[in-house]
Amino acid sequence: MARYGMALDYKNCINCKACEVACKEENGVLLGADKHRIWVGVKEIEGEYPLLNIASNTFYPSQCQHCDNAPCEEVCPTHATHYDENGVVRVDPNKCILCSYCMNACPYDARYVDDRTMTVDKCNFCSDTRLARGETTTACQATCPTKVRIFGDLDDPNSEISQVLREREHFSLKPHLGTKPKLFYLM
Amino acid sequence: MAVEVSRRRFLQGSVAMTVIGGMSMAPSDLFSNEEEHGSQAMTTKTGTGEAKIVPTLCEMCVNKCAALARVENGVVTKLDPNPMFPKSRNMLCPRGNAGIQALYDPDRLKYPMIRVGEKGEGKFKRVSWEEAYDAILNGTDKFPGLAKILDEEKDNRSTIFFCAGEGMAEHTFKTFFNGFGSANWLNHASLCLRTVVSGYGVTLGAYPQADLENAEYIIMAGANRAEAIVTPDTMDFFKRTKGRGAKLICVDPRFTNTAAKADKWLPIKPGTDLAFVLALTYVAIMEELYDKAYVEKYFDGFTQYKNHLYSEGYTPEWAEKITGIPAKDIYEIARDFMKHAPKAVYYPGRRSTFAKNDFQLRRAMAIFQALGGGIDTKGGLVFGKKLPLKPHATVAPMYAQAEGIDVERAKGHPGYSDCAIVSGGGSWIGFRNRVLEGKGLYPIRGMFLYKHNPMMNMPNTKKTAEFLKKLDLIVTIDTMPSDTVMYADVVLPECTYLERTDPVKTFGGPEPSIAVRNKVIDPMYETKPVIEILRGLTEKISKPLFEITKKYDEDVQDDIADRGEEEVYKDFDLTIPFKHSQEELNEHAVSDYPGAAEALKEHGVYYPNMDKWFKKVSVNEHVYYPDDKKAYTVRGGKPKTPSGKVMCNLKNIAKKGVDPMPTWRKEYEYSVPEGKFRMLTGRHAQFTQSGTSNNAMLHDLINENYIWINKRVAKKMGIKFGDMIEVSSEAGSTRLKAYPTEKIAPDQVFFIHGFGEESEELTWAYRSGGNDNAVIKDDIEPVYGAAVMHSTNVEIRKV
Repeated sequence: MARYGMALDYKNCINCKACEVACKEENGVLLGADKHRIWVGVKEIEGEYPLLNIASNTFYPSQCQHCDNAPCEEVCPTHATHYDENGVVRVDPNKCILCSYCMNACPYDARYVDDRTMTVDKCNFCSDTRLARGETTTACQATCPTKVRIFGDLDDPNSEISQVLREREHFSLKPHLGTKPKLFYLM
Repeated sequence: MAVEVSRRRFLQGSVAMTVIGGMSMAPSDLFSNEEEHGSQAMTTKTGTGEAKIVPTLCEMCVNKCAALARVENGVVTKLDPNPMFPKSRNMLCPRGNAGIQALYDPDRLKYPMIRVGEKGEGKFKRVSWEEAYDAILNGTDKFPGLAKILDEEKDNRSTIFFCAGEGMAEHTFKTFFNGFGSANWLNHASLCLRTVVSGYGVTLGAYPQADLENAEYIIMAGANRAEAIVTPDTMDFFKRTKGRGAKLICVDPRFTNTAAKADKWLPIKPGTDLAFVLALTYVAIMEELYDKAYVEKYFDGFTQYKNHLYSEGYTPEWAEKITGIPAKDIYEIARDFMKHAPKAVYYPGRRSTFAKNDFQLRRAMAIFQALGGGIDTKGGLVFGKKLPLKPHATVAPMYAQAEGIDVERAKGHPGYSDCAIVSGGGSWIGFRNRVLEGKGLYPIRGMFLYKHNPMMNMPNTKKTAEFLKKLDLIVTIDTMPSDTVMYADVVLPECTYLERTDPVKTFGGPEPSIAVRNKVIDPMYETKPVIEILRGLTEKISKPLFEITKKYDEDVQDDIADRGEEEVYKDFDLTIPFKHSQEELNEHAVSDYPGAAEALKEHGVYYPNMDKWFKKVSVNEHVYYPDDKKAYTVRGGKPKTPSGKVMCNLKNIAKKGVDPMPTWRKEYEYSVPEGKFRMLTGRHAQFTQSGTSNNAMLHDLINENYIWINKRVAKKMGIKFGDMIEVSSEAGSTRLKAYPTEKIAPDQVFFIHGFGEESEELTWAYRSGGNDNAVIKDDIEPVYGAAVMHSTNVEIRKV
């Protein structure tokens, strides 16, 4: 039993997409630009050459927020979407009927359709691959060149993630929605 | 704080193929008899059962990062970073992760083949290895073999030339070149880092590494470490940018991902960096900001250089007009740099030559760096240490009939007709064009080519195609049916890096180590590692070629009269370097280090005291060497030049017509005629040139390259995102889709190198995007004959 979360030192991100490839290879995610569990958010730059707004080109690595109060879980009519024993928001493909309520409900656009099973898929913190083997990192964290991610147990006060969240300012995405995400962006 | 983060959908096409669909493609005569071997889904979820973990080294680019391959039921299911290697520091980039797709690429070369169609047509038939070797020696009805060519050329071995791309097995291939006895060797250097290596080499005595882990102030000009990843540089400093310990000044004509991480981005006019550095140097010297003790002790020609800068008037105000960078920024940067020195780095870079003045630019950069004393010191440029390896037995016979390197000497000049110095890696463009124009000293008849793709890798693709058609015999060793392989007479399929053990390599730096690429799985299909290919080939050709030498080489005839044929042949036996297995050679190479061979098998990495010093210190970080054991300083700051000084004034190169001190010339100024655009090329983090062009996973990230056109210019021309654009120059034309953006200047366009291959055997790469080298003209710089990449003006039109 744990309550897994992730802290992101997002200023380290260089938008190389190693995390996305590692995720796809680890978890057997389909190829295709819309089939991904993880991504880097980036907007087109503001300003006119040569007077460009550097800060408008910041990279925001992202994935499922594993909300403590997840809208996707709330709307799922078959309980396919559920919290597992570690607080990870999971999808049971055997129960999913592809009604896509969850996809509409998710404020973070973290879900996509797996065409093989015709069910909804998303990040599960490598729960059925790496964590199931007893490993302590997700594929995205392990591979990252600039070490954006710290994955760990939020309930363990001695974990590195707990420590870093005590010591450093951080923010969550769309906090006003009350979803209580477990992804934390370090400032 | 609330941040809206839009999901990435930009610049990405969808790979249209279904998972299994990709596997059954490319059904041509080239790939008939496809076995079931590689038929698996494009991605495989890793399992929780039994797995074998093999430490290896990546070959998706040149960095050689350490990876751990997970093998389940004989299938490689995942590549993870190996945390034990100080160079790659526990990471794998997107390409490193996508190495699995290189292994299981359905388009791979699977069997030896010989040409049955016209040259360049891409029609081959599958043959056995023995038949392929025989065709190389004896030819077929379509092409002559080595025996005929060397007999006609009276054993002038230099009529056959050798070329190779960068890689750990390049060493093995070069061993074959040395035994064969040709004088003509070409590698990627003249298309890549020739001028930077040489510029720093003649000025500081070495091409140093930058200690970006400790530098406090970094000028990164024309280098793009967020997208052109170099380990450990990329990992070392992006964790510290944005007000976290390392101030970053990015100098680049376009807004790159590195610019996005910078404190200041200076959009410079292409090809004018030299003026920028000269002005920085001017300020540092005039305001006496430099390290006087260091200059006193280690500079040669300082006063002459100072007087030169003064008399030429290289002021920031002068540079502003040329570079477009405001004089006040140049003053500020020079002052800040020297304030932080020696923990300040003007990053040397390791990129292609962009402008004709590149050699002088690198000299000026090295001198500016040295003015702050940041040489051979923590936080500056470092020489580091290297753990030496033991050499192995090789063979290098003397062939009296083999002529020297095919370089035309212009009459009355001490240098050559097209460049002042020809280095070991040659001038690819100079060589190609001489052969095309029939200007060589003797005929060039054939080539052996390893892991190299001249059709894609050098400017003016049209000329390269003509050049390849002119050659009588082309033998390629490669993993993929590249555009160049289509011109081959004999195709020898190499296995991928995950299927072979390569020569063990030593990696220098502040934290030196030795690392090895261990074979992860056995070679698929009928592919082989280069060492085995050359073992079979040399067994076939060694004796018959010696017969030709005997016929024409009087020295050999005399020698045989003295010592007997059996004894003499021992010096000409090409099979000698390939007799042992790679594993045996590697064990021998590290036999001076107790326990190294075992550590390399188990961990893939070795350095003395690794068992004591290597420690995990957090979920992401490791320590390799204790701080006091790192080789930041190995010579007390003394440059590695023969004089032990920083060479400001190189009188000897003046004799070859090269400026002895970095000098700005009028002809270097940037200008683009009305209605045209300056063509820029470059890299990004998801592809490595044309080497990864057919990787399904990487195409998933970037399906094709796009041409950057300034947004306002595009609007005026009626060009929208995704419109098809034809780009043309005097060299040729190519087509790709438009990306209007403010990240580029109104008179410039840019697209990424490595796309737009024409080989129909490449499912993903075939005509995906545009080929920059179809458009870039074949200018070379005057010192080493390196390809100049940013001198071409182009026209664009919507089609």
